[in-house]
Order: sequence, then structure tokens, then C-alpha cells
Amino acid sequence: MAALAAGLALMAGGAEAHHSFAVFFSSDQDVIPLTGVVKEFHFTNPHGIIKIVVPGNGKPDQDWTLETNSPSILVRRGWNKDIIKVGEVIKIQGWPARDGSNYMRLRDAARADGTPIGTRPAGAP
Amino acid sequence: MSALRPFALACALAALPALAIAASAMKDGHPDLSGYWDLDARIPRDAALMKKIAPDTAVLDDTGPVEFPRGEYGGLKLKPAAKAAAEAWNPKDDLTVAKVCQPPSIIYAMQGPFPIQVDQGRDIIVIRLQYYDMVRIVFTDGRKHLPASAPHTKVGDSIGHWEGDTLVVDTDHLEPSTITNNGLGHTENVHVIERFRLSPDGRTLLSTQEFEDPQTLDNRGARFIAWKKQDGQYIEPYDCDPSFALNYK
Repeated sequence: MAALAAGLALMAGGAEAHHSFAVFFSSDQDVIPLTGVVKEFHFTNPHGIIKIVVPGNGKPDQDWTLETNSPSILVRRGWNKDIIKVGEVIKIQGWPARDGSNYMRLRDAARADGTPIGTRPAGAP
Repeated sequence: MSALRPFALACALAALPALAIAASAMKDGHPDLSGYWDLDARIPRDAALMKKIAPDTAVLDDTGPVEFPRGEYGGLKLKPAAKAAAEAWNPKDDLTVAKVCQPPSIIYAMQGPFPIQVDQGRDIIVIRLQYYDMVRIVFTDGRKHLPASAPHTKVGDSIGHWEGDTLVVDTDHLEPSTITNNGLGHTENVHVIERFRLSPDGRTLLSTQEFEDPQTLDNRGARFIAWKKQDGQYIEPYDCDPSFALNYK
């Protein structure tokens, strides 16, 4: 929790549901990319959840949990409960959790060939 | 004079669209706030509404997706007990199956980056929030607030009246909830005044939200909140799923 409380700055993130973006997630400078295989996709409020496995390439694979903007916002950006399939490869960028866990807030997502998922970045204000 | 007639006619024709907008935006003698409205935090503060905000009020700059980090309260002066509670707040305590789908009160909910839908009648105005499927009823039939013993809720008890083109909504009977989503909460005695008015073209809903809670704050707080009208749209169900909280374990 010390990591959560330390040195936070005012920032703009995606649409919030219950918890505070500024308290839980890092700043724009810390956005990281990941490419992984989808294990689960849940499209319910307050946030959708995508679970992916990122290949370790010689090291152990990493499980990541990606939290999306509110689905009731994302439906206006072309998302629906079937837009991401289990087993497909996706490329994403997101704001990692401040506590160092493999949890992040999704900024944008694309198919393996780079085609954007949705009509606007998922994490745009 | 005859030379002026075509000019006068042209002026009258040019004014027709504006007159049509004005006419369509009136209902029962008041501006009609009905419609689907998308929050837009880029809309500049409305000077006429801002002038109505009482002295010694901190106007929070956190409308929309922006949120204050821990320890920042936008100029609100916290009572010692409220400050101690905010400092002791553990955000992960809120992320439980029991709590994650509990809505905030209207103080935090109205400024969130979610649309609202307004249906205006003569005696009541219904404000539906996409956020947590909240429904507000504002009585404009002249009634008084509920008795002190009546239950408190997250939407509270709202009574409204018109001051010219501005709807003034007075709300009490709110349940304790968050103010800034970073540990600062209000008590059940918080009192909220909101003012709503339309832009001249009827396409922007402008508002201010003022709140006072002497048990929590030494000053008052306010926000400017505005929405853009979107035709032919409806709010989506929120249907909060509490199993989301399991991802934080």
C-alpha cells in the first residue's frame, strides 16, 4: 500500500467506475505494451476484464489482467461482449498498477495484425 | 420604405431557425432540459452560473475523467476528523464483492464521465444516470423536503424550482458517500444546490453543483459540469457485476 500512496499526481485517465484511476494506476509516462494470448474476456460493469498470457520467450510465461473502461462507455466505441475471442492474440498498451502487480488499465487494443479493436481507443477520456 | 421590405423579410427569415430552436426548447413555460446528454469536460465554465456560487467555495477541477490523487482535495478545507479518515482510507477496502457495486451519491456521480438522460414534466423531472443505473426524481410541484426521519439514499430528496431560465435543485437526505473518490467522504447531513440551464442553442446543458457539509468541511465545495446533447441516443444499462472485485484479490 505504501506504493499506492506515494507521490501521486493529478492525471487524466479513462472513464472511471468505482475506484480511483489516479490512486491505482501509473501515469501516462509509464504506459507499457504487451502482446499475449487471450485466456478470458468479461464484458461487464464497472470494468471489463481481459486476461492474457504473455509468452516468456525462454522465461516463464506471464499472466496479466487488463481492466477496461466501463463497457457501457465502450459499446459506443464499437465494443461488445464478443469483440475479443479466447485464444486470439492481441496487442495492447496500458497503465500498469502502482503496486507492481501484473494488472493494468487498458489504453488501447489491437488484433495481432495491428487492426484496432473498437472505433476509439478504449482508455480515451 | 419599399426598399427596406426585402431586407426586413430576409432578416425575419434568417431568424426563423433560431426561433424554431427556442420554441422547441420550451415546455410548460420553461426551458426543456429533456434529452440524452454526454458529459463534456472541455466546455468552458458558464460565467452566469459561476456568479451564483456562494463565497468561500472551492470550485473543484475534477469534472469528468480527471481525478484527484490521494491527499489532494481541490481547495476543500477538511475538518480534522475528515482529514484523518481520508488519510487512513485504504482504497482496496472498497474493492470487495460487497462494496464494488455500491453507487456513490449524486455528488460524485453527476460529474462522472457517463451520460445522463433527462425527461422533464411539469411537476417532476427525471434524471437517469448511466452510472450505476441511478435514477433521480426532482419534484417541481412546490412540495417541501421530506421530514428529517425519512430514509437517506444515494440520490437523496430533490426539490426544484425555476429562476428565470435556470432550474435550481435542492437536495438533502443523502447517504454518506465519497466526494472526490480518494478517501474524502460526506456525511448524511450534506446539502446540495444544483443549477441547470441550456446554452442559447439548446445543445449544451450547463450546471453547477454546490455542496456544504459542516461536519466534514470548513468551507463549501462546487463543480461546474456540462453535457452535450446527442440526438437519438439512450443511456445504456450499467448492471454492475460485483465479481469484478475478485480481480483485486
